Amino acid sequence: MRKSYFAVSTLFFAVFSGTYAMAASNPDLEALQTEIRQMKQAYEKRISELENKLAKLTVAKTETTEMAQAAPDGGAGKKIHGNEFNPSIGVILNGKYSGFSSDSSNIAGFGVGEEGERGREGLGLDESALNFAGSIDDKFYGGLTVAVVREAGEDKVELEEAYVQTLSGAGLPQGLSVKAGRAFWTFGYLNEHHTHADDFADRPLPYRAFLNKAFNDDGLEVSYVLPTDLYTEVGGGVFRGDDFPLGNATGDGGGAWSAFARLGGDIGENKSWRLGAYLLSGESDGGRSSNEDAVTFIGDSDLYAADLRFTWAPTGNAREREVIVQGEYFRRNEDGSYEDTDAGTGAVAFDDSASGWYAQAVYKFLPQWRIGVRYSLLEAAGAPAGLAGSALDAEGHDPEATAVMLDWTNSEFSRVRLQYNHEELSRGQNDDQIMLQYIMSLGAHGAHTY
Amino acid sequence: MKSLLVATLIAGLALLAPVPASASAQVSVFACEPEWASLAEEIGGEMVETFAATNARQDPHYIRARPSLVAKMRKADLVVCSGGGLEAGWLPQLFQKAGNAKAQPGGNGYLMAADVVPVLEKSAALDRSMGDVHPEGNPHVHLNPHNILLVAKELSSRLKALDPANTAYYQKRYEEFSRHWQQAIGRWENQAAGLKGKGIITHHKAWSYLINWLGLNLVNTLEPKPGIPPSTRHLEDLLQQVRKVPVLAIVRTPYAPGEASEWLSEKSGVPAVVLPYTVGGEAGITDLFLLFERTLGRLRETADAQR
Repeated sequence: MRKSYFAVSTLFFAVFSGTYAMAASNPDLEALQTEIRQMKQAYEKRISELENKLAKLTVAKTETTEMAQAAPDGGAGKKIHGNEFNPSIGVILNGKYSGFSSDSSNIAGFGVGEEGERGREGLGLDESALNFAGSIDDKFYGGLTVAVVREAGEDKVELEEAYVQTLSGAGLPQGLSVKAGRAFWTFGYLNEHHTHADDFADRPLPYRAFLNKAFNDDGLEVSYVLPTDLYTEVGGGVFRGDDFPLGNATGDGGGAWSAFARLGGDIGENKSWRLGAYLLSGESDGGRSSNEDAVTFIGDSDLYAADLRFTWAPTGNAREREVIVQGEYFRRNEDGSYEDTDAGTGAVAFDDSASGWYAQAVYKFLPQWRIGVRYSLLEAAGAPAGLAGSALDAEGHDPEATAVMLDWTNSEFSRVRLQYNHEELSRGQNDDQIMLQYIMSLGAHGAHTY
Repeated sequence: MKSLLVATLIAGLALLAPVPASASAQVSVFACEPEWASLAEEIGGEMVETFAATNARQDPHYIRARPSLVAKMRKADLVVCSGGGLEAGWLPQLFQKAGNAKAQPGGNGYLMAADVVPVLEKSAALDRSMGDVHPEGNPHVHLNPHNILLVAKELSSRLKALDPANTAYYQKRYEEFSRHWQQAIGRWENQAAGLKGKGIITHHKAWSYLINWLGLNLVNTLEPKPGIPPSTRHLEDLLQQVRKVPVLAIVRTPYAPGEASEWLSEKSGVPAVVLPYTVGGEAGITDLFLLFERTLGRLRETADAQR
C-alpha cells in the first residue's frame, strides 16, 4: 500500500516540477519547490498515520480472534439474551408441627413483641421467604428479602431486608464498607442471620425478649476491617429507631445508633473463634408496644451484647464432623416509664436493667446428622411497686428454657429437624414442647458464613 | 458491659500498629487451595508471600468464611482460586466482608483457574435434583498438568502487572518452570501410557481432569450424585457393577471419608487408594512436581500389582 502511494505521488510531483521548471523564473521555481516539498511532507505524514491506524486495527483483530478461540462456546450458539444479569433468587420453604403442654407462654417480667412470642401450635408454615441479591454494578451490591408470615390469622407480607452495600470497587478505603437500607444489622451472632439458617427451630429467649426475634430497622451501617493478622472489625450505624427494641414510630427518625467491635482467628488448623461486643442505643419516644399492645414503654433504651463462637472440626474439614459452641449475653438499661393497660397500672416511672444469655453446642457427628443442646436464661428487672402484678412483674422468677435438637441435612439445600423444649417462663409454668420442622431452600447457593 | 466494648475496641486499635514493613515489598497472594499457593511460589519465588486458605485435608466446597480468612483476604494483592463455583459457598462472603479493592473480579488481582483452562462437564440443562452440580462445569481443574501450565502463564502475567519492577524476575521463573514442567509432562505421559483405558471408581467427581488426561475410564462415583454422601443402596449397585467391569482402583481424596470406598474394596477386592489430590495431600508432597509423580506412581503400582 505504501509503495503504490509513494510511486504515484512521486511521479505526479516529478511531472509537475519538470513542466514548471522549464517555464517559470528562479524565484517562482523556488517558491514552487518549497510548496511541493510541503505537500510531499503532508502526504507522507498522512500516509504514516494511516499505516499506524491499520497496524493497530490488525493487532486488535488478532486479539479478538484469539479470545474467540479461547472461549469456543462464546457467542457460537444462538442464545436469547436478557436474563443473564438477573439477580440470584432464593426461595425458603419452611414449615413445622409444634405441640405445647402449657396454655400460657408469657415471659414474666418482659414486654414481648409479636415475633418474640411462642409460635403457633399444630401444623403450620413458618416464614416463607423470597430473596433476591446481586451486584448492581462495579460499586454496589443489593439485596431484598420478603417474608410471608402468619400473624393474627392472616398471611402478612413483611419486608425483612432491602439494602444496598458497597463493593470493594466502590473506591472506599481498603477494608471499609457501607450498607444502607433495611437489613439484619450487626448485633450479636444470630441477628445477622436469617432464621432459616439457625441451628434450632426457634430463637433463644434473649432474642425473643430483647430483639423481638431480630433487629432490622431502617438505617445505615459502616464497618471497617483492620489490616491486621488477627481479624479485627469495628463499626457502627445510625437507625430510624422504629424496630424493637426501640420504637418511636411517631418521632422524627434517626433516633438510634450502634457501635460494635469483633475479633477472631484460628487456633491451629482445626479450631477457630470470634468474639464481639455491641451496643445499640435509642429512644422510644413514640412508645414501644408489646404484649399485644397491652404493655408500652416510653423512654431511652441501651442494649449491650457480647457474643462468642467457637468451631472445631477434625483437620478443619467441617464437611464430615464439626462442633460449634456459641453463646451470647445481653443487658438492657431502660430509663422511662412502663404502662400495662391489662393490669391498669397507668404510666409508672422505670429506671432499671434486665439481662439474659444463652449458650448452645451443636455436634455434627455424621456428614448429614447433627445434635444440639441449648440453654437460655433471662433476669428481669425488679418491678417497681406501681407495676406489681403486671406483666412486668417477674415475681422473682427467672425465665429459662432448655432445648435439644436433632437434624438431618440431605444436601446443602434441605434439612429436617426434631426439637424438644422445656420452658419455665413464669412462676409455676412448665411447658414441654415438641417441634418437627423442615427447611428447604430453592435456588441460589447459600453461602457459609462463620 | 461498656468496659468490655471499650476493651475490645482498644485491643483492635492496638493491633493496627504492628504492620510488617517487609510485607509491602512483596505481592501478597491469597490462594484458595494449596495447589495454587504452590504454583504462586514457583512463579513468584521470593517476591511473593503466599497463604493457602485450605489444606489437603479440607473439602474446598465446604469451608466456613472464618474470621481469619477475612483478615487474610483484606491484605491480599492477588487472589488465586480454582473458580468455576468450587468456592461459591465461602469466597463471595470473604470478598464482601474484607472490602479489598485490590483483588476484585475483573481486575489483575483476581485469577480463577477455571477461567483460563478448558473446563470439562459443562452442562446445558441443570437441576438441583442432580446434586450439588456446578453450572460452570467441573472446577477441579488442576489435575491435568497442561492446565497447570496455562494457569502458570496467566499467573506470571498477573504478577508482572501487579509488580512491574520485577517483570524480568517473574518472566525468568516462569520460563524455567514452564521448561521443567513440559519435560515432566512428557515423562509422565510416557510412564502413564499403560494406564490408558483402565476403569476407575472415584468418591466424588474430583478426578475428572486426571481421568481425562490419562485416558482412564470413569466407571462410577461413590457419591450417587455430586455432594450427596454414598448410600447403602447405591453401594450395593456399585458392587454389582464392579463384579462385571474390571476396575483398577477406587480413588478418593485425603479429605473424603473412607468408609464407603473401604467397604466396596473389601467386598469386591478392588484396591481402595487415597491419592494426594493436592500439595500436602501426603507427607513429602511439597510441590506440584511431586504431586504428579506420586499420583502416577501410585496408580502404576496398583496396575502392576494386578498384572
